Amino acid sequence: MKKLLYIFLIQFICHAEEFVVVMQKNSTLTSLSRAKVKMIFLKRQKMSQDKLLIPINLSPTSKIRKSFEKQVLGMSRNRLKSFWTKEHYLGHRPPLTMKSFQSSISFVEKIDGAIAYIPSNEVNNKLKILYKWKSK
Amino acid sequence: MKILFIMILLFSSIWATEDEQSSDYVLGEGLQVGDIPLYIGGYLSADYTNVEDSDFHQLRADEIAFLVYGSADKFSYMAELEFKEFYIKQWTQGDTNTQKNTQLHIERLYLDYNYNENFVFRAGKFNSPIGYWNMIPINVLRDTSSNPLVSSMIYPKYTTGLDLSFTSYSDNEIRVDVLLQNNKDFDDEYNNLKVNKHYALGLEYTNNDLSVKYNGGYFHTRDPLVVDKNFYYSLISLKYDTDNYKIMGELGTQFNKNHSLVPYSGYIEGLYRITPKHLPTIRFETYESQQLKQTQKDSFLVLGYTYRPVYPVAFKAEYQMHQEDAQNRTLLSISALF
Repeated sequence: MKKLLYIFLIQFICHAEEFVVVMQKNSTLTSLSRAKVKMIFLKRQKMSQDKLLIPINLSPTSKIRKSFEKQVLGMSRNRLKSFWTKEHYLGHRPPLTMKSFQSSISFVEKIDGAIAYIPSNEVNNKLKILYKWKSK
Repeated sequence: MKILFIMILLFSSIWATEDEQSSDYVLGEGLQVGDIPLYIGGYLSADYTNVEDSDFHQLRADEIAFLVYGSADKFSYMAELEFKEFYIKQWTQGDTNTQKNTQLHIERLYLDYNYNENFVFRAGKFNSPIGYWNMIPINVLRDTSSNPLVSSMIYPKYTTGLDLSFTSYSDNEIRVDVLLQNNKDFDDEYNNLKVNKHYALGLEYTNNDLSVKYNGGYFHTRDPLVVDKNFYYSLISLKYDTDNYKIMGELGTQFNKNHSLVPYSGYIEGLYRITPKHLPTIRFETYESQQLKQTQKDSFLVLGYTYRPVYPVAFKAEYQMHQEDAQNRTLLSISALF
């Protein structure tokens, strides 16, 4: 019985989807902590050394975005809405939104400083992985 | 009453979806003009106050403001123009008084330069980055219709000068602000203190949901009624903000070389998010002031309730129970950000 439980558990873990935060291969950033990713996507940290960072969001219904907001930003959608409303008063804009992760990948490949989250199996040799998480 | 009607009409005209998907315009996030780095927005608020013991009533169209901002490369800018206390009607025991203020004031006007990931230089007129309440002071975004007294008793709310900030990012955030003002304000009619010098230092530590901050500074007043024109202040602040609740507090003092003008002024506040639309608040405030050689002391409790049909629109009700003065009051307000 225990063996069966372990098998189920392992299977469950293996099936958890893995996502990654990526930038261009030539980025000077090597890896990021969860706190750093949060600072970049809330635009508290706007630059890396002397280069502007351009965080990219996916559309609000995207399951990757939902997982990103919950597990990486650690904030509910409502709290994020109130956060960006306050930032509007302070003159700051939310991240650009792309309709698909394919568009995000294409944007990151072309634009220096762009940073996005995508499924880990979509990473190509033009991209560098800075942070990984598994969906719960 | 006409003003209230106009404001309700304005509110309904700016009503838009909160959902990013179904519209390019998101209520409370402004609107981009063409494809240029130019965003426009604004906010409105109206309130009603009743002070029980003096049978005082006040109806006010308090804030009508326009925001313009944008960024290009390492530069960004912000302009905020506001009709402050646009319309006020007060009545007490048969006497009625009405005022209209149609002058447009410069609330904020500044340019930022992001030198690198650590240093930002700001020049112009801006909210003094002191405490937490003063950073987001407009009705629609704050927790209650009233402002805690500490946000207007201790330090100049606006600074016209330079803010040099250094931020260190790791798993937490440490920020240092140096404020330098050596001139008159751009437009100081609605600054709480008329100053021509303001030098200050701010230190802030943020770790996820927790932030603590210290501000200390000096200012020189232009007020002709004040003999000793040099003042110093010190303020500590704390904020713990989660998905479900927020706890925030500030405690400050103001003094000059001879004595303490405001020995203490502070508050501690708790806000609970029952749902994103229903937000009760409780705040305890206390202060002692010895300005103009008179001692004033009070402690009071503020019970507030905010209903937000969508986040950028707020209907607020508040009751204040004062200990020392006959100042118990009710406040109602409606406000929106667009």
